[in-house]
Amino acid sequence: MHLIKSGLSLLLLLVLIVVLNTKIGSIPPLGKFFDPDAGFWANAETTAPESEELNLEGTRDKVSVFYDERRVPHIFAENDYDLYYTQGYITAKDRLFQMEVQTYDASGRLAEIIGPDLLERDLETRRLGMPYGADKALEAMKNDPEAMSLVQAYANGVNAYISSLSADEYPIEYKILDFKPEEWTPLKTAHLLKAMTKTLAGRNDDMRMSNTLKYFGEDFVETFFNISPKLTDPIIPATRVWDFKAIPVQKPDSLFVPTSTQDLGEFERPEGIGSNNWAVSGSKTESGFPILANDPHLSLTLPSIWYEVQLHAPGINTYGVSLQGVPGVIIGFNEHVAWGVTNVASDVMDWYEVKFKDSSKREYWHDGKWKPTTTRIEEIKIRGQETLLDTVFYTHHGPVTEKYSRVNPESEPSYYALRWIAHEPSTDVNTFYGLNRAKNYDDYVEALSHYVAPAQNFVFASNEGDIALWVNGKFPNKWKYQGRTVSDGTDPLYDWQGWIPHEHNPHVKNPKRGFVSSANQPSVAPSYPYYMGDDYAPFERGRRINDRLREMENITAQDMQHLQLDNYSYHAATILPEMLGWIDRDGLSESELEKLKLVEEWNYFNDAEKLAPSIFRVWWSKLYDNILDDEFESTKASLRYPARDRLTEILKYDAGFEFIDDINTEKVETLNELVTTSFNQTLSTMRTVLGDGTEEWQWGYYAENDIDHLASIPGFGRERVFTGGGRESVNATRGGNGPSWRMIVELGPEVKGYGVYPGGASGNPGSPDYDSMVETWRTGGFFELKFMKEKPTNYLYKIEIN
Amino acid sequence: MLLTALIILFSFLLNFFLPWWSIALPGLVFGYFFKPKAFAAFGWGFLALFLLWGAQALYIHFANDGILSTRIAEMLQVGSPLLVVLITGVIGGLVSALATLTGALFANKPQRRRSFS
Repeated sequence: MHLIKSGLSLLLLLVLIVVLNTKIGSIPPLGKFFDPDAGFWANAETTAPESEELNLEGTRDKVSVFYDERRVPHIFAENDYDLYYTQGYITAKDRLFQMEVQTYDASGRLAEIIGPDLLERDLETRRLGMPYGADKALEAMKNDPEAMSLVQAYANGVNAYISSLSADEYPIEYKILDFKPEEWTPLKTAHLLKAMTKTLAGRNDDMRMSNTLKYFGEDFVETFFNISPKLTDPIIPATRVWDFKAIPVQKPDSLFVPTSTQDLGEFERPEGIGSNNWAVSGSKTESGFPILANDPHLSLTLPSIWYEVQLHAPGINTYGVSLQGVPGVIIGFNEHVAWGVTNVASDVMDWYEVKFKDSSKREYWHDGKWKPTTTRIEEIKIRGQETLLDTVFYTHHGPVTEKYSRVNPESEPSYYALRWIAHEPSTDVNTFYGLNRAKNYDDYVEALSHYVAPAQNFVFASNEGDIALWVNGKFPNKWKYQGRTVSDGTDPLYDWQGWIPHEHNPHVKNPKRGFVSSANQPSVAPSYPYYMGDDYAPFERGRRINDRLREMENITAQDMQHLQLDNYSYHAATILPEMLGWIDRDGLSESELEKLKLVEEWNYFNDAEKLAPSIFRVWWSKLYDNILDDEFESTKASLRYPARDRLTEILKYDAGFEFIDDINTEKVETLNELVTTSFNQTLSTMRTVLGDGTEEWQWGYYAENDIDHLASIPGFGRERVFTGGGRESVNATRGGNGPSWRMIVELGPEVKGYGVYPGGASGNPGSPDYDSMVETWRTGGFFELKFMKEKPTNYLYKIEIN
Repeated sequence: MLLTALIILFSFLLNFFLPWWSIALPGLVFGYFFKPKAFAAFGWGFLALFLLWGAQALYIHFANDGILSTRIAEMLQVGSPLLVVLITGVIGGLVSALATLTGALFANKPQRRRSFS
């Protein structure tokens, strides 16, 4: 009896320990997790960081890292190897989980650490050829000893940090998800660069466009997609003369129509992923030297996508923001030049309908003969389950995906091969290596010539007084509109026949107007002799920037800060006066008229405390839906929706536009009726969802600016960040997207930088420096960047590496 | 009381070097040697680790200005960071309680009475 009792007790104890040591569902192993010595409590920063000396044996000479009061590291090394080794080490020290999880995602390995829930995402990543592209990039790096040596130095530094860690020192996310850091490799840097390409150039409308062309016809496509709004002000000024002839490409006689209307998944990039940059020449500034500004708009997360750093070694002294996992500074400046990037929305992702000989998929028809496919076997490890092997077939275009029709789900599936810039071999790190050391315009152009993807508008300014902008990347040389619809996989005329030579990439240096700028709008005017794509951001941000820069004289860094924070809505200014003219006021109640008055008196600035931006936004989107939904939802096929700026223009100049009528009613609706109905719907929806006249109506709350944790762990993000802006404003903050780094650089004998990002240096949610800059970012403040010419005497703490 | 004090001391030392479940060892050992009654064993064992882990957590909570415990409270949806401290104590306490009980039961002299208070 007694033995049974004690035995039971022991059993119970063992069971309790095992249960508390095991991750169950998403609940971390509780005993391990709550242990004050090694669980999450060990990640709470209880003392300010102190100076330390490290004997790493990996570096060749001594390295010093000085942290300034914002905990930005300033690395002073004696050679390139040590510099990148240390960058890897200290980046891992602050951001290890982020580095790892981003590459797990980019390589389709999330299920390995999280479990079967992430399997679908991994399969898609693999079938898009993400690991295939990274393998090719690694191969290219291996053939380029210089690129390989810096990526390897960086990896060695990361690994030195990882191997110094004991389990209690793992970042908290490892304890929540219950896994361990693994060795960092140059391949992971390649994965990370491909992840950027997916975020910024993983976009196409091919199937939607084929469907739209078939369903609504050529006139509709001509009206909505071929014509740019009149207010469009292209990145390269329309006055630019092109003194070269385009390399000719052969075009098919008629456009291919895919056999059925299918969906290839959503690749639409949410608006808000876009950016602004500009540079003004010394003729327009107070100092007489150029000023450069850049604010890349990305999905905002904690930790931030960016990590600020200064890199100093013989031949290099540069400051700016870096990506976790990539050696060098991506956006920044040195003593001679400054540079920044915005995305180019060129079409570099095309789908081809494939004709297989039989169900074995071993051969496909191309150029009049059967050609063999190749295969890649993707091994996907799944936490708690058996490893899955997925065979992906490749044509010469790329990986093949099988799709069932949404319209006729019973019909045979179709096969589509993907040709995508992310599959190109690339050594993009060389570009940043070059930019970080550039002294003048020629160095900048040389550095850009190594760049493949994601294509960026590289803005530039130098101490020599030059300003420039290159629309830069590797662009396929296409016939007009090639690849905007689904392509014929059997016809070589649909293949990417070649590339636009780098020197033909759109660019401008020292234009007469005294400034260069980009905000993701169309790169060029129609006079440019190559076709690059037809789906750019609306004109609004770009035009606002150019309007302002044209007017401004004696510009200071502070003026540029103000412009980055500009909340003006060109969209509202264009369409709202019309909507107010169209609305029928007779049927509106007292309180409805009151709300309408708010909108009438609005100055078109998307300021946080105002109610009008929220009301206008809902009103416009209801109107947009009321005009288009009846036609667009009359088919199951997914279609390409017109851009906001183009529809605005059509309404303004053609109030009798046929889509205004609701095809589901017998009556013929007028624009006045739709505008009035939309306004009524706006107020009743907002009242129901937000309550009448509550603070939730304020734009700063309505816009839902949440900065979520990278892995969406509740409590680790910042919710309801009250701030102005809008997707069509220069300050493009909205709904968790927006300026992920604001930087202004004033060139001159003493280059001065200002910057801020919505995060903090540390990736540790238990550190005060995890989100220490969010408040400054929210209120439109900037920090002066501590660009050091020599080792500082004043610093918060330092790490000496021997 | 001595039993509790010894468990606290040895758990603290072991937990420094060994994984978290090492906190069960002092309970097993001292429960065996002190041979408390079942109810007392459970109670004193619980108290020991509840105090130890609770105090450690509370110290970190204050030294960290509650930054992390507030985030964890939100993650676990328990409302207050002090509840996170309390949960820490309870988890440690439960393991130690069961361990001390097991030790005491194995001592095989359940009838003998001894006071520890």
